Amino acid sequence: MRIDRTHRKWLVASLIILGVASAIYVFYAARSPAGPSGGSAVGFTFGMVGSAFMVFAGLLAARKKLPVVRLGRAQSWMRGHLWLGLLSLPMILFHGGFRFGGPLTSVLMILLIIVVASGLFGAALQHYMPNMMTAEVQKETIFEQIDHVRTGMIADADALIAATTGASDAGATRQAARAPIAVQTVALTQEAASALSNFYVREMRPFLHNDGGERHPLADTGSARAIFVELRTLLPGETQDAMKSLEDICEEERQLRRQTRLHHWLHGWLMLHVPLSFALLLLGCVHAFMALRY
Amino acid sequence: MSASANGLVELTIDGNKVSVAAGTSVFDAARMQGIPIPTLCHQQNETPVGVCRMCVVDVGARVFAASCVRPVEAGMVVNTNSEKVQRARRTLVELLMADHPSPCTREQHSGDCELEAMAHRDNITRTRFAPHSTGRAKDSSSPSIAVDFDSCILCDRCVRGCGEIRDHFVLARMGKGTVAGIAFDDQRAMGESSCVSCGECMVSCPTGALTNKIFTHTALGLGPTFENVPVEELQQLPFFKGVSGTFLSLNRGAVVRRQFRRGEIICREGEYGSTAFYILEGKARVSISNPMAHVKTKGVVKKFLGKLSSKLAQRQQDQRDEETYKRWIPIDAPVDLEYDNPVAELNAGDLFGEMTCMSLYPRSATVRAETDCTMLEMLRNVLDIMQRNKTFRAQLEKSYRQRALDSHLRAVPVFAELTDEFISSLRESVELARYSPGQVICRQGEPADSFYLIRIGFVKVTQLHMGGEMVMAYLSRSEYFGETGLLREDVRTATCTALDHVEVVRIGANDFKRMLAEFPQVREKLEAVEQERMKMNRARLAVLQNVPLDDFLTQGLMEAQSLLLLDLTSCTRCDACVRACADAHEGVTRLVREGLRFDHYLVATSCRQCLDPLCMVGCPVGSIRRRNSLEVIIEDWCIGCGLCAENCPYGNINIHPFNVMVEDLASPGHRKAMVKQKATSCDLCTEYAEPSCVYACPHDAAHRVDPRKFFAELLKPGANTDKAR
Repeated sequence: MRIDRTHRKWLVASLIILGVASAIYVFYAARSPAGPSGGSAVGFTFGMVGSAFMVFAGLLAARKKLPVVRLGRAQSWMRGHLWLGLLSLPMILFHGGFRFGGPLTSVLMILLIIVVASGLFGAALQHYMPNMMTAEVQKETIFEQIDHVRTGMIADADALIAATTGASDAGATRQAARAPIAVQTVALTQEAASALSNFYVREMRPFLHNDGGERHPLADTGSARAIFVELRTLLPGETQDAMKSLEDICEEERQLRRQTRLHHWLHGWLMLHVPLSFALLLLGCVHAFMALRY
Repeated sequence: MSASANGLVELTIDGNKVSVAAGTSVFDAARMQGIPIPTLCHQQNETPVGVCRMCVVDVGARVFAASCVRPVEAGMVVNTNSEKVQRARRTLVELLMADHPSPCTREQHSGDCELEAMAHRDNITRTRFAPHSTGRAKDSSSPSIAVDFDSCILCDRCVRGCGEIRDHFVLARMGKGTVAGIAFDDQRAMGESSCVSCGECMVSCPTGALTNKIFTHTALGLGPTFENVPVEELQQLPFFKGVSGTFLSLNRGAVVRRQFRRGEIICREGEYGSTAFYILEGKARVSISNPMAHVKTKGVVKKFLGKLSSKLAQRQQDQRDEETYKRWIPIDAPVDLEYDNPVAELNAGDLFGEMTCMSLYPRSATVRAETDCTMLEMLRNVLDIMQRNKTFRAQLEKSYRQRALDSHLRAVPVFAELTDEFISSLRESVELARYSPGQVICRQGEPADSFYLIRIGFVKVTQLHMGGEMVMAYLSRSEYFGETGLLREDVRTATCTALDHVEVVRIGANDFKRMLAEFPQVREKLEAVEQERMKMNRARLAVLQNVPLDDFLTQGLMEAQSLLLLDLTSCTRCDACVRACADAHEGVTRLVREGLRFDHYLVATSCRQCLDPLCMVGCPVGSIRRRNSLEVIIEDWCIGCGLCAENCPYGNINIHPFNVMVEDLASPGHRKAMVKQKATSCDLCTEYAEPSCVYACPHDAAHRVDPRKFFAELLKPGANTDKAR
């Protein structure tokens, strides 16, 4: 979620809560001879409030499972998740008096720090990366459709090469071509046709099949441009339109790769944040049970 | 020539007094009386040129007249078959046969060279005249058509077929006198010319000058139910009379005879097909089995865990804004179906499936054999040729006038109150006219002389304004146009163009005025509809003129009532909006997170009421239309074929499956559970205060906006988009 001026109310409310809690904690810590403790009334209250914030933050996942049910707008839940989740860290620190305690509470504290830190990291990613993706990936498609788009691109490229070199073996993939491709059939010399075919079979097609990763020469805009400039010198002027189309297909593939990378960044952090959050909530329950019983 | 007050001319042909419309040729006047006049250069679907002179008749003048180009005159006495006339024709055949290699290629292939057939009829085996060769070799450069210049009789049928019918203008006459002949482009070999091998010249040629090199073996299907009909037998059928044997040979297998047992399904609604059926014997039952209902999204929204659900609702149960109360459903057959009981009967002589065959639309209804039936099933090329045959057309028109005109006119709500007497009086005066794809039916600014009711196909209505042409509407079967100019007694206010193969019922200005005079209520209704259309058009124009347009806006964004915009700087591409939409509509999302981009906004799919609403083109039952608010409405008789969903370039129409009980066509009288589909588009979750997609977006990226306000704000210098929202 983008953190913009629409978060002002939440920011102010959070600062007030933090300020009040800090004041209470300072007063309480100064007044406690044995130092602050989670077992004291104030410490327990901090623990309850912090847990409640964590539980609320955790409920966002449940809210997302019921998108249509009118339980409040999802964005309100998200704002609550962000700010109350963030506030849970100082609350729990106040609860434990900035001490990690025994093994279970130490694990809990480490988990909480990781969860909050990963959440902050995710929030930062969500703040900056959508903009980055919008600017850098003009040919963005639905993430799940990338393989399908790639199949269409390969079919387009096959059709272009077949039409340009006069080869007829690309007919099968032409069925999958995304749009009819108007290509002027050019009488290429054997040498030129062979150069184009070699480039396509050895370089471009593997690249479109996502082989070679980022080290592939066509994966870099600069080196791809140089390759196409060199190739153009070998081919007659009539093939320029086809070469431009092939270059565009390579650019689209680079953009799809970029989108894949950005998408993984944008959503990958959740692989850490979500399971650890659930582990935190589960262990938090264990801790509460143990603390209240014993 | 002087015609009587009713525009008819009286003359005598072979002793019979006849009355025909002024301007009719003597040839057509005789044909209408069943008097055959031989001809070689004249084809019913081409402009007559009168070059072969074979159709000469004695009109009492100094010389014989070519009947195909000679218009009738009042009091004219025509003799089509006198001894003198016969002698003149015989001499002409002899002269033509002198230069004709006999048997020519066509006579060898299919035995139907028209010239040689005439020679056989006149027992001409030898000619008194010396043969003359053109000196041009045969041209075999085309992969599909063989040219034999020696067989050419310079009738120009191929030239007119190429230019008039197909608009290719590859063929023309070249040279004078004895060296005159046909030529491709500027005398090129056919294979090297700009010929596209459409075959029209070959089909038009009466001799073996242009014949097919390769028999294409077009076949409809194999098996015992597909019976190939020999060319000779086809030519015996009245509606194949005059169709080129070369054509029928070339297309053997493209028309088959099929036997259907009682109860057997001939075609099913929603299926894609490419053939038309002509009933030779028996009766068939045409019906729509998809429930007469539309998709209604309902929900117990006031309850805490209340959810939306989609149900089928009839118009009696759920009345929508601007609901039409059309009683008749247009289908691809000579009859319409009733909303309350969508079943009708087809009889021998009926042709159905024309739109499917000509324009490849899905079948509009299910047809089942009511008795044992014999039918001809044909592909488009055969139907196309048949439609050009005036005898066949006359038979179809007669059937339409007698059986369908009544229900067709009454299917239009404004004409529902016409009396039987009035419709009877229209029967003989209305005209059925056909238009090819792209052909202009009437043009903006021309004098309004007719009213048109669409029988088959789709018509695009456009208006020319400063800045370009705007599509006002797409009209389909049972919709009408041309009334505005007639009501105002002025010029046409829009241009109407055939989008596909269109057939219209043309009612002349006089009949239209008579109708308005006799039925003032029809005038009132027409005027009300016209006012509403004008108001809507003015509103749309005002929108377009008041807002700066750019590439995106011209794509329909400004036209929309409500747009779903995704702010790409906030959207994390989590698809929560898509999942929410699917959740709100029983797993069928009406939203796809892809579409046009404007600034940093993605215009996600949701109906945007395009300037050019392509979704409305091709609906086989005309169930998708615009409300006057421009929002798309899908009528109850949607058959779920999915063509509108396919046609919508933005994926804004979805097909929703429902489990319903329908009549089991395989065992009449029984019902069975089936999954039926209905088209539906985004309803903005009207049951809720906010659409589910927006409500479920956790990142404040999804917004429903009023595009006019939003884009106008966005286009201002230093725009604040939040304010616009």
